Amino acid sequence: MPRVLTFKVNIETGKQGPNEPVNFSFNGHTMPFEKVIGSNEPDAIFEGSFDVNSFAHSLTLVGPEKGKWEIDKIRVDYECEGEKPYVVNWGAVTLDETTEVNLWQDPPVPAFDV
Amino acid sequence: MNFIKRFFSGMKQEDEVSEPAKVATPVSTTASESVASEPTASDIGNTEATAEEERFADAPPAPRTILHAPAAKQGLFPESSDGILIKAQPSPTGDQCMFTVNQVLMKDCSWYFDSFESAAESSLAESLFSLEDVETVLVCEATVTVTRKDKTLVDWKPLAKEIGAAIRNAVEEGQSLIADKIISTIPSEDVIREGIQKVIDEEVNPGVAGHGGQINLLAVKGNSVTIQMGGGCQGCSAADLTLKQGIHTSFRKAVPEVGAIFDETDHTAGLNPFFS
Repeated sequence: MPRVLTFKVNIETGKQGPNEPVNFSFNGHTMPFEKVIGSNEPDAIFEGSFDVNSFAHSLTLVGPEKGKWEIDKIRVDYECEGEKPYVVNWGAVTLDETTEVNLWQDPPVPAFDV
Repeated sequence: MNFIKRFFSGMKQEDEVSEPAKVATPVSTTASESVASEPTASDIGNTEATAEEERFADAPPAPRTILHAPAAKQGLFPESSDGILIKAQPSPTGDQCMFTVNQVLMKDCSWYFDSFESAAESSLAESLFSLEDVETVLVCEATVTVTRKDKTLVDWKPLAKEIGAAIRNAVEEGQSLIADKIISTIPSEDVIREGIQKVIDEEVNPGVAGHGGQINLLAVKGNSVTIQMGGGCQGCSAADLTLKQGIHTSFRKAVPEVGAIFDETDHTAGLNPFFS
């Protein structure tokens, strides 16, 4: 379980987007993103980040309070203590007021050529 | 004097503590009291306060369901590469190392070699068992997973180089990597599913039930099986041990033709996960 220094999300919204503030949940604490660019309205791209500086137990993107949020792609750039920066990409998912989607993935297992 | 000073400073602290508590107590009990008691004249006249109380009285929001979006696969190798490329990935615990090759070694199925004898006529496994420290070999699609005899060593690099060279030589020689007699003995998915489900029902689940655990068979593809651990097994600190020393052994004993065994449990979820 690494200490997450910071993470940045880039979310591409599909045909349906709520256009409301985007929240994430880190270790069960729901918070808004910082350094926000764009929005989650239809066909828009949302970017946000957060300087966490804490150990990651769980990290999720919280669904909208009302309506549906069709997400085409999610990209998360992680910077963790003692690890090389790494990127995780996810495909399409639809969120609503009852759902959230996992954003956490451990740093990749080191691989080397043999 | 010191005693008197401590006495008075203690009194002071007590006053400081007790003051907010007096204020806080009615707030924390408002929710239950406001439901039980009749509204008074002052309540009726103060709608803002009532709204505030209702806000605090609201039950916490229902927990949301956590979805898992499909992860976009990122290739280990460059798309255009002519030669045989091999990546080694030791497991975090260091007990095994997975070698991924940029070509398929065993199509649509897998095979577990537990000894040099079992590797007869399979050139890939034979060449790997010729290395002194190799204990077991699992071949699945484009991967080879190896465990070593010396469990005290965690640095895989020296052995991984030798294993990589052995895999490359076996592939370049172009002989039958996996013996035909093995391929021909692999039963249908239905037979594998029936055998594994039986051992889960009769042996594995009764064993883990004592700890509130449960094992489910999720899928069978070829002779590879995917399971999910639930109940007390999900997120348990001993899940890896249970999987490798308990479940794997039971599965292979009951259904010797079973190949790879995948665990798709999200050990960070569940009610009380250890690996959260």
